[in-house]
Amino acid sequence: MNKKLYIILTILFALTPLGLLSSYSAWGEWDNEVYQKLIGFIPKGIENASSIQPLIPDYGEGSVVMYYLSALIGGGLIFGIFYLLSRSKR
Amino acid sequence: MHIPDGYLSPITVVSTYLVATPLWIYGFKRLKKILDEETMPLIGALSALSFIIMMFNIPIPGGTSGHAVGVALIAILFNPWIGFVSVSLVLLIQSIIFGDGGISALGANALGMAGVGAFSGYYTFKLLKKRKFAPFIAGWVSAVASSLFIAIILGIQPFWSEGGKPLYFPFDLATTIPALVGSHILFFGVVEGILTQLIYSYIKEKK
Repeated sequence: MNKKLYIILTILFALTPLGLLSSYSAWGEWDNEVYQKLIGFIPKGIENASSIQPLIPDYGEGSVVMYYLSALIGGGLIFGIFYLLSRSKR
Repeated sequence: MHIPDGYLSPITVVSTYLVATPLWIYGFKRLKKILDEETMPLIGALSALSFIIMMFNIPIPGGTSGHAVGVALIAILFNPWIGFVSVSLVLLIQSIIFGDGGISALGANALGMAGVGAFSGYYTFKLLKKRKFAPFIAGWVSAVASSLFIAIILGIQPFWSEGGKPLYFPFDLATTIPALVGSHILFFGVVEGILTQLIYSYIKEKK
C-alpha cells in the first residue's frame, strides 16, 4: 500500500502545474473589485479583513516553479508534522 | 470552498471554532493512538496527497473553478476522525503559508471540508461496502455534503448587515446553495468520486 501511494503522490506532484491552467477563481473566493462590480459595493467586513501575510501568497501567483515549490513545501511540511507526531510518542 | 478572512461574522467565527475545537482535540487523540511506524507513512502521504489534490483547480462552465479534497479517501482507509484531523492540518498549512482560506474561517472550513466530508464519505462507504463503486459514491457524497455545509455558512452571512448592506459575505442561501452545491453535484463531486475510486482500488488491489 505504501509504495503505491508514493507512486500516486509522485505522479500527481509532477502534474501539479495543470492546476494553474484555470484562470477562474473558485466561487466566492473573488478579489474585492468583483463585489464592487456584482453588487455595487464591497461589504465592510470583506474590505477591512485582517489577515496575516502568508509566506507564499496564492501558491506563487501563477509561476510554475513556485507552484512546484509550493507543492513540495506544503506536502513536505504536512508529512513532516506527522513524522514528528509519531516520534513524539516515544 | 476555502472561505477567506472577512467573509464571516464574528459570531460565526466564534461558534465554528467553539464546535471545531473539542472535535480537533478528540480527533487528535484518536490520531495519536494509531500513529506508529506503520501508519505514519500512510497517513502522512495521504495528507500530503490531499494537499496536492487541492492544487488541481478545475475550471467549469460559468467562470468558476474548484477542486477535489481527498478526505473521503483517508476516512474510508482509516476512519473519519483521522480524515477530519489530517485534512484540518492541511487546511491550517494552506491558510498560514499560502493564504488559501482565512485563519478566522479555519473552524468553518475544517468543519465543512474536513469534518462533514470525512463523516459523510465514511458512512456512505460503510453503507455500500460490498458494492464495487462504493468509493466513487462515498467521494461524491463527501464533496457534495461539504459544499452544502459551506454554502449554508456563507448563505446566512447577509443576516449581519448595516443600513441594508451586508457586512460580510453578501449572497444568501438562494444563491450559495445552487452555486456551490450545484457545481459539486455536477463537477467537483464527480472528480472527488473518480479520484477516491481510482486510488482506493489501486492501493487495495491484490498483486
